[in-house]
Amino acid sequence: MANSNLPRRIIKETQRLLSEPAPGISASPSEDNMRYFNVMILGPTQSPYEGTFVQLLIGGVFKLELFLPEEYPMAAPKVRFLTKIYHPNIDKLGRICLDILKDKWSPALQIRTVLLSIQALLSAPNPDDPLSENIAKHWKTNEAEAVETAKEWTRLYASGA
Amino acid sequence: MTLGSGGSSVVVPRNFRLLEELERGEKGIGDGTVSYGMDDGDDIYMRSWTGTIIGPHNTVHEGRIYQLKLFCDKDYPEKPPSVRFHSRINMTCVNHETGVVEPKKFGLLANWQREYTMEDILTQLKKEMAAPHNRKLVQPPEGTYF
Repeated sequence: MANSNLPRRIIKETQRLLSEPAPGISASPSEDNMRYFNVMILGPTQSPYEGTFVQLLIGGVFKLELFLPEEYPMAAPKVRFLTKIYHPNIDKLGRICLDILKDKWSPALQIRTVLLSIQALLSAPNPDDPLSENIAKHWKTNEAEAVETAKEWTRLYASGA
Repeated sequence: MTLGSGGSSVVVPRNFRLLEELERGEKGIGDGTVSYGMDDGDDIYMRSWTGTIIGPHNTVHEGRIYQLKLFCDKDYPEKPPSVRFHSRINMTCVNHETGVVEPKKFGLLANWQREYTMEDILTQLKKEMAAPHNRKLVQPPEGTYF
């Protein structure tokens, strides 16, 4: 059985993610690999990534995948977006530029804090530390237009389907 | 994979495994005689790859640059990628009409294990070029393609 040696810490974190999910975030482990999570993050309100209200909220649903490497929690989880997103700190392959996923990782952080930080990154794009040069340039030269493109991509790709 | 530790049961899922391979390929491998990269930077599932092998010394392949196509389907790395030469080559494990590396004639693909990587495939093909049954075979003109 592939998951027989799952550390207690991962089991605890998983149970809490399922029983007390953070608002706008869901994360559930896959059946055949308890270190591999399917994640959904709702685009925050007041951000270009939020859904549209038509009686109820439509879209603005971003799919991600998360993997806890063997070294976790001494090493950060690996996370990427599967939904296409127009954001200066996220590249075409969905890779995320976020300090806590790299040199600022600490074992005191958890899956939950990582996902909340990614959600916060959607509210606060940082074009000064870009992963996608072109998008960052767009953001710095014409923020209003870049935000429009981000909204358009949210409508096109983040339907949650 | 480390042996003897409880961690040996950790399975890196396909996409994260391919991201690791991508990063390794971007950094550059060893002496640079084999290399690879993604074909379509927009494909979130990272399926199509191009590999390059520089023909080994003291063989008919010396100085030639061979391009290959590797395709990692959804079941990679449980299953091996499909591998074919784009540049024409005369080699015992390569189909003469299509350029496909035939798994039956290439042990690494026939006896595939999850730990094997695209780098391993290219490195092993380079060794195969220098094997006694391949190193002196007459080759098609340089710069021709399947």
